[in-house]
Amino acid sequence: MKDQILSVSLIVLLDHAEERISSLYENIVRHLEATEKSFELIFVDDGSRDKTYALLQEISQKDARVRVIRMRARFGEAAAFDAGLKNSRGEKVLFITERVRVNVSQLSNLLSALNESCDFVVGRRYPRRDSMLNRWVSRWFNGLVNRISKLDLQDINSGVFAAKRSVFESLPTYGDLFNFLPVLAAQQGYKLTEVDIEQMPGTFRTSRYFSEYIRRLLDIVTVFFLTRYSKKPIHFMGFLGMIFFFSGLIIELYLFVYRIFQFGPIAGRPLLILGALLLIIGIQMVSIGLLGEMIIFTHAGEIEEYNIEEILN
Amino acid sequence: MNQTDKPLFLSIVVPIYNEVENVPILYQKICEALEKVNRPAEMILVDDGSKDGTRDVLRRLAEKDPRLRVILFRKNFGQSAAMSAGFRVSKGEFVIAMDGDLQNDPTDIPKLIRKAEEGYDVVSGWRRYRQDKWLMRKLPSKIANKLICSVTDVRLHDTGCSLKLFRRDVVNGIRLYGELHRFLPALARVEGASIAEVEVNHHARKFGKSKYNITRTFRVIMDLSSLNLFLKYLRNPMHFFGAIGVILSGFALLGTVIFLFTHPESGSAESNVLATLLFLIWILGFQFLSFGFVASLIVRTGNRRGQSLAVHQYKN
Repeated sequence: MKDQILSVSLIVLLDHAEERISSLYENIVRHLEATEKSFELIFVDDGSRDKTYALLQEISQKDARVRVIRMRARFGEAAAFDAGLKNSRGEKVLFITERVRVNVSQLSNLLSALNESCDFVVGRRYPRRDSMLNRWVSRWFNGLVNRISKLDLQDINSGVFAAKRSVFESLPTYGDLFNFLPVLAAQQGYKLTEVDIEQMPGTFRTSRYFSEYIRRLLDIVTVFFLTRYSKKPIHFMGFLGMIFFFSGLIIELYLFVYRIFQFGPIAGRPLLILGALLLIIGIQMVSIGLLGEMIIFTHAGEIEEYNIEEILN
Repeated sequence: MNQTDKPLFLSIVVPIYNEVENVPILYQKICEALEKVNRPAEMILVDDGSKDGTRDVLRRLAEKDPRLRVILFRKNFGQSAAMSAGFRVSKGEFVIAMDGDLQNDPTDIPKLIRKAEEGYDVVSGWRRYRQDKWLMRKLPSKIANKLICSVTDVRLHDTGCSLKLFRRDVVNGIRLYGELHRFLPALARVEGASIAEVEVNHHARKFGKSKYNITRTFRVIMDLSSLNLFLKYLRNPMHFFGAIGVILSGFALLGTVIFLFTHPESGSAESNVLATLLFLIWILGFQFLSFGFVASLIVRTGNRRGQSLAVHQYKN
């Protein structure tokens, strides 16, 4: 059973989905049977407290192609995907989050886009049905991420993507970086495309908390470091730190000269404190850059900073 | 990756990026050099994500020659990554690295090997009569060389020369990342390797474009200064940063005591300035102390690199 190779593994993340589960299952199976040779369905129940898991058990008893994984508590998309991936066997892996409600009849478009010249397909929710606010935030977020990562994707963390299994062998599929799998994949040299997938009408959760937006912003900082300076922290931190340090130094030197040549008192001047502050920030940033560098240096043996496509002979 | 486990005498590792005209000539010349050496050898050409048809040329060459191993990267990851990948795959007792642009001359290979057989672990090429533009290439290279020599205790005329030979243990003991390939002899030196130098030919570039640009000077300087710190204080960073921190904090403490005695009242102009200065020194002192502390934690928890080299027992 374990060694049998399937063509597709579909991993579905569910979170309190008791009302929609049976229709979702039927839809998926109907469409996949029509287009795929062999497939398996992996439902990951992310700690739902309603009847989701009970319903899933029923389904899996009837259908041998269905596997069910239940998380002990709500661990989020990244952990759920990781658990699903580890228990999957398909050559192509397709991931959907139930809450984004994509039209499952279009999933085969994503799978057929995976070919010789494409390793990773991002589903772009289009047309979208969720709130204007969500769409607006998403547009800005994607715009910024694209600008930083030099990719051209409209919907980076849509919650729907498909990729060849080999892609995940060299990508971290857990933790914060999960939201940026496409960026990481592109960085490793895998080829990406985006395929439209319709969003079904329904009620959608909107972000109620301000902290979610803060986290998004921090995520963008993550992308920035990830794509540019993850191997050379000193190049970035050192550069910024130098700028701070030297502006502080220039300010203090100016005040020093000012005082020495008796142009006037400097004690009450806020510039004095500003200069001191800049010096501290500068030294601090350079030090942090050095620490980063040290961490990488001592772990150089574990860093794989390239991705081999093929070895001949 | 290991189709045969029999050890080879020599591996030649060449990172290649967009060198479609040069590759066939390079291959030919290396073959000639290998015939002269006449020992079991392999050639590892690492394509760093070329887009000009180099990959197809490499594929065709690899089909015909079993001694030629080709590594194809998914995209451009940089010269250091390419060297690192080549080194990892290599099996030779001696590993020679060189550029793929034909500015290094493969006919120098036997010369390097002869030198290494005298008992050296690293043999670096010296492009004594370099065929490049003075302002754009030679001068920056000379300055960089001076810097590297002054920072490390490696005495070489031309650390920037890519044509270098390493003994197996050196290759195994040192992992490259970022742009560290520039400082390989220095890194090897710290691990106790013996280094020699031989004069090598250098030719002007015939085909293709140079991948060098002057903006990387800043990065090289940054790398060099951090490398300097690592090399000197890698074993015990507290000795350096902690010492600075202790001195600064002691200074701040002394200053504060004097200050409190001499300026018992508040409000004078002078006392404001002095207070700011003391404030600054206090913060920096503690900063360096904690920096040294974290740094020593990192070093201690990091995996011990290069232990194989530190033992230094491979002279037969």
